[in-house]
Amino acid sequence: MASSTGALLAVGSPLPCSSSQIPRKLSSSLLCLNNGDLSTPYNRSLRLSRGKVLTTLSNSKRFAVGKEAEDSFLSDVSEDSDEMFDDLFNKYGKVVYKSDDVKSPSAEVDDDAESLAFAVEMAKVASEVKAGDIKVLFVKPLVYWTRFFIITTAFSRPQIDAIGSRMRDLAEKKYGRVANGDVKPNAWTLLDFGDVVIHIFLPPQRTFYNLEDFYGNAMSVPLPFEDQAPPRS
Amino acid sequence: MIQPQTYLNVADNSGARKLMCIRIIGASNRRYAHIGDVIVAVIKEAIPNTPLERSEVIRAVIVRTCKELKRKNGTIIRYDDNAAVVIDQEGNPKGTRVFGAIPRELRQLNFTKIVSLAPEVL
Repeated sequence: MASSTGALLAVGSPLPCSSSQIPRKLSSSLLCLNNGDLSTPYNRSLRLSRGKVLTTLSNSKRFAVGKEAEDSFLSDVSEDSDEMFDDLFNKYGKVVYKSDDVKSPSAEVDDDAESLAFAVEMAKVASEVKAGDIKVLFVKPLVYWTRFFIITTAFSRPQIDAIGSRMRDLAEKKYGRVANGDVKPNAWTLLDFGDVVIHIFLPPQRTFYNLEDFYGNAMSVPLPFEDQAPPRS
Repeated sequence: MIQPQTYLNVADNSGARKLMCIRIIGASNRRYAHIGDVIVAVIKEAIPNTPLERSEVIRAVIVRTCKELKRKNGTIIRYDDNAAVVIDQEGNPKGTRVFGAIPRELRQLNFTKIVSLAPEVL
């Protein structure tokens, strides 16, 4: 079934295929088509290889569009010396602009730290309301649409309600964030704070959906408090 | 563009294989459903020995359509098939995993559960 689920992705407007719009792993059945006029200037990205500099700077103000180009650019920054950039500058003497929607690595780290603090605070709230088996997963390397997952078990619907409403209250009061997702307590209640997504399960649903297994490659964040023992059932 | 009598593939492991749309949830006399809409469907084909059986009436969320999905930034996404994910009355998916690529618009439509079970989000 999965093989027949191809998708066609096309960009019709004069916007470049920016990295945020393209998923990290495009399946083989996925195509990214650009307009003819786009392909030439934007594909001429700055390629820096070790020792040898291959550069084709165009009149276009933007460059290094697309995940691959951006990755190679970022990874080589640490390896290559400043002299190479000086050479480039002397040769071309132009300021090169990046596309605006790419955040600097330091800003990314700041955002991650902020989200982590928020996630840990939310996990603490869950622990205060006696939720069991709390796990905070750093899923950013796996999915682009969020940073942290909190997976926890509650043992009854009133408890789910209590956990959910406490989390909402704290998030709104302290961080000024409003959650999307389920309003009523549900067997699988989901609170979506954008960069932190909270899943509150009843024990049977937790084993049924088994989200930890699905996100098994995600890094688990150690929590600063004692976790309740996993449910015995 | 899903309308009553449209056949859809099932993009999860709930046990159903083929659905036929019989009603679109929303306004009365609504003609077409698109990605993210909830439909009432009947199971036309099911895998044996699974909880869902043929001719059962269920609810499903459309996750892929052959009709193009346009985004504000000019991106157009078109899939090869029409596909849906079976949900229950509370909105929880009946299967435990979702197959294939799904669009991120589902998250804005409060189907984050489906998004979090999917292997790939466009």
